[in-house]
Amino acid sequence: MTVRDVDSCRNCLHFNALAADIETIFPGLASLSSAYSSVRAEDGLCSLNDRYLAASCVCNHHTREN
Amino acid sequence: MAEIAAQTPHPIPARESHWAELTRSEDWWAIWIGLGLILVSVGLFIVGASVKWLAVAPQKWSHVADWFGQLRGQGLRYAALFLLWAVIFGTGAAALGIKLPRFLTAFLPLYVATGAIYFLGSWDQASHYNLEPPLVALALGLAISNTIGAPRWLEPALRVEFYIKTGIVLLGAGLPITLLAWAGPVAMLQAATVSLATFGVIYFSAVRLGLDKRLAATLGTGGAVCGVSGAIAVGGAVGATRQDVSIAISLVVVWAIAMIFALPLISRALGLSTGVAGAWIGTSEFADAAGLAAAQTYGGYAGNVPGIAGSADAAVAAFTLMKVIGRDVWIGAWAFALSLIATARWETTGIKHRRGPGDIWRRFPKFVLGFLAASIILTLVSRGYTYAEYKKDVVPGLVAPLQALRTWAFSFAFLSIGLTTRLREFVSVGARPFYAFTIGVLVNVILGFFLSTQVYFSFWDRLGR
Repeated sequence: MTVRDVDSCRNCLHFNALAADIETIFPGLASLSSAYSSVRAEDGLCSLNDRYLAASCVCNHHTREN
Repeated sequence: MAEIAAQTPHPIPARESHWAELTRSEDWWAIWIGLGLILVSVGLFIVGASVKWLAVAPQKWSHVADWFGQLRGQGLRYAALFLLWAVIFGTGAAALGIKLPRFLTAFLPLYVATGAIYFLGSWDQASHYNLEPPLVALALGLAISNTIGAPRWLEPALRVEFYIKTGIVLLGAGLPITLLAWAGPVAMLQAATVSLATFGVIYFSAVRLGLDKRLAATLGTGGAVCGVSGAIAVGGAVGATRQDVSIAISLVVVWAIAMIFALPLISRALGLSTGVAGAWIGTSEFADAAGLAAAQTYGGYAGNVPGIAGSADAAVAAFTLMKVIGRDVWIGAWAFALSLIATARWETTGIKHRRGPGDIWRRFPKFVLGFLAASIILTLVSRGYTYAEYKKDVVPGLVAPLQALRTWAFSFAFLSIGLTTRLREFVSVGARPFYAFTIGVLVNVILGFFLSTQVYFSFWDRLGR
């Protein structure tokens, strides 16, 4: 298993880190900040846990995205 | 709730590419655009030319006839400036994934409206009627978006942070690196004092009120470090819930907008010099865009409102030193430290966090590097000029045009803030988060005022003069 193949939110079906979607999910984010900025890194929303997480996280319910 | 997947250490999965951020992040595009404009301007200056034909800005006017006269005389320059912004911001927006035709369609009315507000602010009675362009842009945008609603097709061009970051990089060209070295440590000390106090007050108030520690931390960094950016950085680092992050964003935006109007008005009533007011705004405002709107408004009072001492640029300079150098650059460290505490001390969520010191760099606001590079470039170019020569040659040929371009970039942002802020879309924050955050706001404002006007008064006052 290569490092890139390791299970994480980044390759999970439940995780969404698309900047445009993040700005829609969080009203007000684009008013004084941006989902395209460096400070957001690759964080995204887990629809299963309903948490905003770093892309490197993982949980037991990880489902690899095809 | 999911359980921890595994207790054995995992390698941190690699990002798609470490270099991808250079072309896909707003911060880096702000650097490429800002530094690109500066390098072209420097190149022209060295060969005896200047970018000033392109960097057109409204001149002071008294009668509407003057206004039309300026438009007739400078129409070609305004059209050329539109083309310049459309090409460079359009290229950046396209690289971020925004469709270019949609961006350009939206950018034209944004440019026209910004220009109209800029012209209004050049009226010689504008200060008398509080018609400072940042306030007018913000108020107009808020009025439209919260009544009839800004049309959705405008949204692709309403990139507040993109314009602000580009403007901050351009601002670096007006601040010599020697000034940053001289004032930076004081800014960091003052900012650190207020940030730690504000975070502590919000965090412990929130916990005392029975709120979850992840929400408390997200609210705390939103109020103490860098507003909405701080909230999303720490929200992600500690694994806050969607609702936690939404609450923090709503509270930061509402308070930040209230401060844009309040801080310049209070400073004006107290007759603070521009340097001192800029430092206070930099300490007590939450977000860069909001703070720059307040600081630029106050800078506009210099020379127009009796009793306001200091140069117009000093408010923005002091703000930037305090906010960008003193607070923004630490967001990665705050996020990393809080993520460690969250794992070690707080209730488990069933999610395994993999982290390392590299996260500090990943969350670092990269546009600050562009700001510093711009400062170094202009310091090197200005070397060898006497002060008199600098004022006579370098300012009109190089610094002033870059200043005009910066004002345009900031103005696009100020109008965009209002047009993107739809208060009815904000989540209901609840009383306890509101109280915790508001207590922090009070401490932040009072402590920032005390440090700026008492402890470091002579320092900031001297900077402004």
